[in-house]
Amino acid sequence: MPDRTAPEPTAATATPDAPAVDASTSLGGDAWRRLRRRPDVIAAAVVVVFFAVMAAFPRLFTSTNPQSCVIGDSKIRPQGLGGEHPLGTDVHGCDLLAQLVHGARPSLTLAFVVVGASLLIGVTLGLLAGYYLGWVDTVVSRTIEVFLVIPLLLAALLLLTLFREVSVGGGTFDVILLPALVLTMFGWMAYARYVRAATLEAKNLDYVTAARALGASDLRVMVRHVLPNAIGPVTALVPTAIAGVISTEAVLAFLGIGVRPPAISWGIMITNGADWVTGGYAYLLLYPLGCLVLTVLALVALGDALRDALDPRLR
Amino acid sequence: MGRRAAVAATATAVALVLASCSGGGGGNDDEGDGGGGGGGSDPDATLNLALSQDVETLLPMDSNVGDNISVLDVVYDGLVRYDPETTEPYNYVAESVETEDNTVWTIKIKPDLTFQNGEPVDADAFARAWNYAAYGPNAMANNYFFERITGYEEMQGETDDDGNVTKEPEADTLSGLKVVDPQTLEVTLTGPFAGFGTMLGYTGFFPIAQECLDDIEACAVQPIGNGPFQVEKWDQGVGLTATRWEDYTLEETPEYGAIEWTEYTGEDNWPDFEAGNLDFAVPPPAEQQAAAGDPDLQERYVEGPGAALTYMAFPLYKDGPWKDVEFRKAISLAVDRQGIIDALLPSQRVPADSWVVPDVVPGGTGGTCEWCAFDPDAAKAALEKAGGWPDGEKLTIHLGQDATEQELFKAVGDSIQETLGIPYELDATPDYFARRGARDFSGPFRANWFPDYPLNENYLAPVYASGDAKNGNVEFGYYSADFEAAVKAGDEAATLDEAVAQYQEAEKILATDFPTIPLFVAQNTYYYSENVSNVVLDPFSGEPKLRLLEVTNG
Amino acid sequence: MGRYILRRSLLGVGTLLLVMFVLHLLTTFAIQLNGNPALAFFGEKVPTKSQLAAVEARFGLDDPCYDQTGNPCLGPFVERLGQYAQGDFGTNLRGREVTDIVATAAPNTLKLFLVVTIVWFVLGMGLGTAAARRRDRSADHGIRLTSVLIDAFPIFVLLLVYRYVFAVPLSGWAEDTFGEGSLPALWFRPSFDDDHPWATLLVPGILLGLAGSAAFIRLVRASQLESYAGDHVRTARSRGLNERHVVTHHVIRNSAVPVVTAVGLTFTEALAGAVVTEGMMNIYGMGGVLWEAVRAADVALILGIVTILAAVTVVVMLVVDIAYAALDPRIRYA
Repeated sequence: MPDRTAPEPTAATATPDAPAVDASTSLGGDAWRRLRRRPDVIAAAVVVVFFAVMAAFPRLFTSTNPQSCVIGDSKIRPQGLGGEHPLGTDVHGCDLLAQLVHGARPSLTLAFVVVGASLLIGVTLGLLAGYYLGWVDTVVSRTIEVFLVIPLLLAALLLLTLFREVSVGGGTFDVILLPALVLTMFGWMAYARYVRAATLEAKNLDYVTAARALGASDLRVMVRHVLPNAIGPVTALVPTAIAGVISTEAVLAFLGIGVRPPAISWGIMITNGADWVTGGYAYLLLYPLGCLVLTVLALVALGDALRDALDPRLR
Repeated sequence: MGRRAAVAATATAVALVLASCSGGGGGNDDEGDGGGGGGGSDPDATLNLALSQDVETLLPMDSNVGDNISVLDVVYDGLVRYDPETTEPYNYVAESVETEDNTVWTIKIKPDLTFQNGEPVDADAFARAWNYAAYGPNAMANNYFFERITGYEEMQGETDDDGNVTKEPEADTLSGLKVVDPQTLEVTLTGPFAGFGTMLGYTGFFPIAQECLDDIEACAVQPIGNGPFQVEKWDQGVGLTATRWEDYTLEETPEYGAIEWTEYTGEDNWPDFEAGNLDFAVPPPAEQQAAAGDPDLQERYVEGPGAALTYMAFPLYKDGPWKDVEFRKAISLAVDRQGIIDALLPSQRVPADSWVVPDVVPGGTGGTCEWCAFDPDAAKAALEKAGGWPDGEKLTIHLGQDATEQELFKAVGDSIQETLGIPYELDATPDYFARRGARDFSGPFRANWFPDYPLNENYLAPVYASGDAKNGNVEFGYYSADFEAAVKAGDEAATLDEAVAQYQEAEKILATDFPTIPLFVAQNTYYYSENVSNVVLDPFSGEPKLRLLEVTNG
Repeated sequence: MGRYILRRSLLGVGTLLLVMFVLHLLTTFAIQLNGNPALAFFGEKVPTKSQLAAVEARFGLDDPCYDQTGNPCLGPFVERLGQYAQGDFGTNLRGREVTDIVATAAPNTLKLFLVVTIVWFVLGMGLGTAAARRRDRSADHGIRLTSVLIDAFPIFVLLLVYRYVFAVPLSGWAEDTFGEGSLPALWFRPSFDDDHPWATLLVPGILLGLAGSAAFIRLVRASQLESYAGDHVRTARSRGLNERHVVTHHVIRNSAVPVVTAVGLTFTEALAGAVVTEGMMNIYGMGGVLWEAVRAADVALILGIVTILAAVTVVVMLVVDIAYAALDPRIRYA
């Protein structure tokens, strides 16, 4: 789930050790230096890059068509590297490795699209609300509240049924379009609240006041002076949020309202595999679940490190 | 929704309470315990059954889903009941059902029968139920069963396309229904129909008490029946309890004391069976292997043929390769029915090779479909003959949103794709029925038929006959004058046997025209606990015959 | 304070009306775009127009606006609001009172939520506190890793494995050891039993709570870390108060504030978990009913239930806001 329990703006981000701060130049450069020094971060980055490459270039990993399934080959156990089906086949006789590799794309694309779009909406609205206050703030705050009251699942279900007749093609983006839309609509509130609070704080900083006094346009003040202050903590949320969307996709798949078959996603594979876990075919669940857990772990580790590195209170 | 396949697992559980015996395995949560014993039932025993949560009403006129039907089967008695072996009707509440010409039917009712509230079960009790169901504005689910009775048309209003009523119904009773005397009912049909006597045991034809009609809402949750059990309490969504009606006078009544249904959201109650809380269940596919390998469980396994037929239909009303019978043959020959069943639903389906399911209704025999066996080479040849499949196009297969069916049809699509090289996509639409009715499909679609009464005619006429030579039937645009004539000949036949034979002729016409592809037939299976014996599955509904069950101690 | 509460309450009512209106629009458009839920009533049969009209009337869908795509159907909405104001929440498609459905379903869900909340609190406070105290040591890393694993592990897998692998042998063992119908035997029943709601809800509640606890563990840890760094803790320590006193009085108590807030916010989120849990454990509750209602496009039932739910949520958020204001002197009621 998009982490809605997460941070009330006033509440709590972790305060990491205060390592010696280099006489550094930019925030980014400093953060990069910090990240580099941690082996867990490097491992996490490798995992994320690995799956990203898999999503981008599935043909590097398998030449089997994941949609080519022969029912007679149902549930062949993993044969190991070199076999025709290294990770075995599923109930329908589809090659599991091919499914896993091709399933990475919808799952990861969905996550990045949702978080990217939520971030855009959340940051924009939060910035506007915090900067102008008044009626803009009232509208934004009320909207946030309305969206928080509607249960995500109900909204997802309603919207996914609402648009179910929309002809959806088979392209990578088409199969995730509907879940992406819904998860974005209900995923932006945390960012908006966060940015709004940070904007309120930053607005009254001396240099911002100075910039305004010097006649800088509102847009310029917002983008150049306020935003950089607000963006740090929000950036730290991103990897965790991506991880959350990947998990949510699995739940949507379970409820039958996620990525549409015959497109494959990790969520769909987990859902299908879960049925067979007790029947002696645990590998059908364990492989996709393993990929999902590994990706989520890596992203969260990255997020933690980012937060530590970017926390402005350390500066 | 609608009539669902008999596979919709209604597991049943039986517990018996006999204080003196000692506990056997697979205990039950009822207070009693005791060892498995011989035959016979204990009058204090409680039978615990599972029920699907989509049961919304217990009004016979409004019940057309498998689960309420199986509840109402012990709460109500119909004019006829069906033999568990042959599914042929025999008189039960009716003393006799007679007709000279298959148009006017005279039904004599046994004397001195009463409802559970003391009202007499007489000709009026049937007439009021049927009139209520047939009256259009009441919107009863079983309304259409009465369309063969004279006066049905006058009881339906008319509406325009916007749903505004343009004509109120002219009558509120069926003119073809006459109460001659308290024990005699005379029914006039709009035309001869030899199968009418067969329909009379169906839930929609059960009688109702006047008290029920006076407060129909109360009666929908607390039925006033005339059967061996009466509904004690129904917590909708949670459970239903029925106890034996002590004043029951007819012969078919079990000896155990009560039935408790627990409502389930899905069909997933196998762990409850294993834990001893249910005594009847069907394992999910993943557990089937384990169950089949358990010698103890195998002794308590029963299977029998089912009545539900799953087939693939084509939008014959739209231009496309499917207009060519050779193309339809190619598709049919390309589906590895047995392989799909073995992988996905072993023992719960059998490959279909006829349009009328064999063994469960009179006139049903297997093997009438010549092109229903998996034969990749013949399939390719047939496709060639049909002119192939247009390059770059995808075959869209439409179906509803049932998870099990989606699995099955993914396998069907895979099979077609592998054999014929036709790429496919599944369109699992929640508006399946609406779109099918609106002829909005652009490719083959899944269809399923569960018969309403045991006669081969019911697999044929309601599905394929329309009388509309220009457009064909609504669902797939099929029309055959020969087929319609054969059905009509069956309706007009002098005896039921002759009628059945005529209907078989109609099926042969389907086998030639090949408008649809028979795919799977449901098979009824159940595992049951040590507590029950004399388990007989009704071939028609697929459920255990509750009235025959014997319950020993759990 | 009084004016603050009044203002917040009015805002709450406003939010509620907005939510209802949005939901009304969504369901209306769903019906307009997707066609008629009444059609499903006929199953394999193709109804005549008059049959369809009769069923539409029975389902309360006979207003022509449901056939006009884009029409917001304000008429039925206002009518419905009027009925709600009189306490009449209408019936579902099959004529069962919405209030009756809620009365049967809500207690089970509330019981489930209570167990879930307790688990959240116990795990969140327990593990979160432990992690914060042993910060950056192996215990901390272990707890954080566990919380991520919990988060990544889909709840349905957890429940499925429990039901099929653990429940049956455990209930068998409990029956043999403690007797049939004993409390432990009920705890491990593979599905809900209406006669023993508390006993049979315990394990599903714990599992659902476990699945949702990860966010709380992280929240508690983070807010306690902030407290540790806070001036009041430094002051308390410098005054020579013992560590236990500092932790319980200054760290844990302060960190409870954001946790309470989060509980309020997560109320709706928990419903998502409830849909899955209730479905799999066969609990007749709000999540399951809502799910079925949406699938059947049962407008009256969806709106009725969501209105009741949203009302509860708004009240919870209100109470939390007020409690927050009361607990945290930094917030002034304007």
